[in-house]
Amino acid sequence: MDHTTDKPGVAATPLAAGAAAEAAPPAVGGDGPALWAKDLVKRYRRGVLAVDQASFEVPRGEIFGFLGPNGAGKSTTILMLITLLRPTAGQARVCGYDVARRADAVRRSVGYVSQDIAVDDTLTGRQNVYLQGRFYHLPPRVIAARSAEVLAMVDLADRADDLVSTYSGGMRKRLDIAEGLIHRPAVLFLDEPTLGLDIQTRRRIWEYIERLRREQGITIFLTTHYMDEADALCDRVAIIDHGRIVAIGATGELKRTVGGDLVTLKLRGPDGRPVTPDVADLPGVEHAYEPRDGALSFVVKDGERDVPRILATLGERGLVCDSLAMKRPSLDDVFLHFTGRELRQDEGGGSFWRTSMAVRRARR
Amino acid sequence: MSEAVVKPAVVVPVPRGNLLVDTWWVCWRELKHYVGQPMRIFMTLFQPLVWLVLMGNMYQRIAAVPGFPAKSYLDYMAPGIVVMVTLFGGMFTGMSVVWDRRLGFLHKMLAAPLARSAVVTGKMLAAGIQAIIQGLVILLIALAMGVKFSAGIGGVPLLLLLAALLCLVLTGFSLALAAVVTTHETLMALVNFFTMPLMFTSNAMMPTQFMPTWLADIARVNPISFAINPMRTLFLSGYDVAGLVEGFLILGALVAVMAFIASSLFRRGMA
Repeated sequence: MDHTTDKPGVAATPLAAGAAAEAAPPAVGGDGPALWAKDLVKRYRRGVLAVDQASFEVPRGEIFGFLGPNGAGKSTTILMLITLLRPTAGQARVCGYDVARRADAVRRSVGYVSQDIAVDDTLTGRQNVYLQGRFYHLPPRVIAARSAEVLAMVDLADRADDLVSTYSGGMRKRLDIAEGLIHRPAVLFLDEPTLGLDIQTRRRIWEYIERLRREQGITIFLTTHYMDEADALCDRVAIIDHGRIVAIGATGELKRTVGGDLVTLKLRGPDGRPVTPDVADLPGVEHAYEPRDGALSFVVKDGERDVPRILATLGERGLVCDSLAMKRPSLDDVFLHFTGRELRQDEGGGSFWRTSMAVRRARR
Repeated sequence: MSEAVVKPAVVVPVPRGNLLVDTWWVCWRELKHYVGQPMRIFMTLFQPLVWLVLMGNMYQRIAAVPGFPAKSYLDYMAPGIVVMVTLFGGMFTGMSVVWDRRLGFLHKMLAAPLARSAVVTGKMLAAGIQAIIQGLVILLIALAMGVKFSAGIGGVPLLLLLAALLCLVLTGFSLALAAVVTTHETLMALVNFFTMPLMFTSNAMMPTQFMPTWLADIARVNPISFAINPMRTLFLSGYDVAGLVEGFLILGALVAVMAFIASSLFRRGMA
């Protein structure tokens, strides 16, 4: 899969957060967006502001990603959209139904696969799917036919009659996704669909998600803190940090806002010591980041042309280049650009994890 | 890849359900848990036997005390054991909610278009069915041990129905606790805090006339006593229509109140 190309067929959307959802709320049954949110706010009782004025719109048939670190408010947003949490303020519509006033209609139209892998391990895989079908009021004949279909899709057909307690983590996750499909929802919410899974399983799940959209036209709203996942799957992403949407747009478009190429280099001064001079005045530099670990990083318009000129200029100043790396911008760089920090820095980081736990506790 | 995308799915909401059907499917899962664990079935059947043998013999000579209402203590306490086992079973139902919450299954059920009260009523129904099975087993063991069931075969359904209603009251209470308390340690502590006092401030094991006045007063208003009095009459003397009607009415009302409180507490946290 080419991770850098823009995905075609998606209307250009203003990048500024909050610029979406300007139009009137979508009506039920129309061609309007599958999801629509305006100034959605969730403040938990303990005062944690989990989601801060999120506005977005997801057209039908799109794979839309909420990208952000743990505790950024991604799951909270999903819980509000599937009517398990009441928004503190703002409005949201799912398939045209208002989440506050038409909660039952919303629940009857969407599927939800939580990050918890909520399968019942005292039942078999098929029984889990059967029960889910019953929870969605499907007749037994339909359940029987579709459970074979969804179990085959996630490659669990041959293990369907084994107890889930004998399944591996990846199999449980696939079963959970199969359950989310039994009622053929128009919109499927996937909360961290590949959290903690190995790379082969992750790729397979990406393939299922792609297939769902391709073959059934399901609108998919997923959250992730994996850049590669958002890059590989999503038509558009919203970058969310501390409960705020800081950027929203097609992945290729977001990358273009970062600029041309990201250059990272390490320099030595005339005395042989590492230095990190100001680079803003160098030829072609569009945006410079704070130096980290003795390395400079900045964005240039056209790396192939600008880097030799930069090296020449640095040489004139008596600086020697120790190492140089240049890459086309990835979503990591987009995240860095909009939040001023790297996404992966936050993973497992102390304070961040604490906020995330506080949010989880408040949610329960 | 996007070229092949089919027309976006048309929104076709799944049908609405109704409380009775949804209750059954929540209950179905609980019953599957029960039959899926042979050890658990064995223990729920074996435990009453231990209680009957142990306690029946321990207090055997109390029956000789003047004023004791039954010929043998075993006759007196057999309905007490039915109530005791029902009490323990019912009070622990909340634990399954705490687990469901922790595993994410509670969210899964609430995200589905299930009737909002079905999680509560389904778990109540499952506990009630278990109470009936256990009550029947205890009755059979007691009969085998020589206890007389004066009401005869026609009284059996009444006995089991009383046990089931009591179980629903306690399950409702336990679920209400579980709606508020989210860790199993805390819920365990609360359940234990309520279970034993409920048991020993009732006349399940000891007649009220053997208690100090203040304790006898508590025993008279203890919901457990409202189940045990008509049950005991079925064992010791047969039918007492007024007592049965009173028992059914009070327990029925308590079931409705508890189910309402538990469902409202569950709904409160959700949209």
